[in-house]
Amino acid sequence: MSAYKDPSTSSKPYRDPTPLPESVPKVQELGTTSAPLKSAAFFIGAYCKDYNDDFMLCKSEDRDPGHCLKEGRRVTRCAQDLITKMRENCLADFDKHWNCLERNNHQYNLCRKVERPLNKCMFEKLGLVKTIPGTPEGQKPIHEVEKPIFTGVQK
Amino acid sequence: MPVPWEALIPFGLLTTMFAAAGTLVNVSKRAQNQGKPVRYGIDPWDEMMMERDRRLTGHVRGQSTEPIAPEGFATSSAWYTEKTSI
Repeated sequence: MSAYKDPSTSSKPYRDPTPLPESVPKVQELGTTSAPLKSAAFFIGAYCKDYNDDFMLCKSEDRDPGHCLKEGRRVTRCAQDLITKMRENCLADFDKHWNCLERNNHQYNLCRKVERPLNKCMFEKLGLVKTIPGTPEGQKPIHEVEKPIFTGVQK
Repeated sequence: MPVPWEALIPFGLLTTMFAAAGTLVNVSKRAQNQGKPVRYGIDPWDEMMMERDRRLTGHVRGQSTEPIAPEGFATSSAWYTEKTSI
């Protein structure tokens, strides 16, 4: 029988027996984890809109994993670029926001107070605005409402 | 008449044990989650992201803001399918 060996206990890196062909360019994967990614999500949407739309339209033609590799590489590189820029310019606000999210079950509505300085910094330094697509016309987006109805449990 | 203080011992015991059990559960949960509150209402997306976090940082609640992933991340999801020699 085979025993389950936890990969994190391995002493050697994984050797891929079937690596990608040399014709496929290599891209380094994004190393950001879930909370910082969620914090930066709307800014990635604003900054990388073209590449993201390109990839999604390409994937909608064919769900085969090997189909949209070029567009996928572009998406990864764009996200890496934005994360680097965010860290250079707004590191303090960014860190505060994703730490707040991490302590609050990754819910945006519980971290509005910390989100406002981040949005302000991103707009001033990088010109990126958080927009929620699908907001009904004439209604203020929920992240701009000063006194929302639904807030967290009183601690 | 003197106060029957022995009769109040069970109440004190109940309160203490209740508080102790609650504290122990809370501390245990926090210790498992690196001192942060536990994540609830996790859907398959969150499970997938937490598994990705584990591959990136070693713990399901570990976080990092590095733009470039560490060496070996690209293939670490395939480790589960690796043939073992046992």
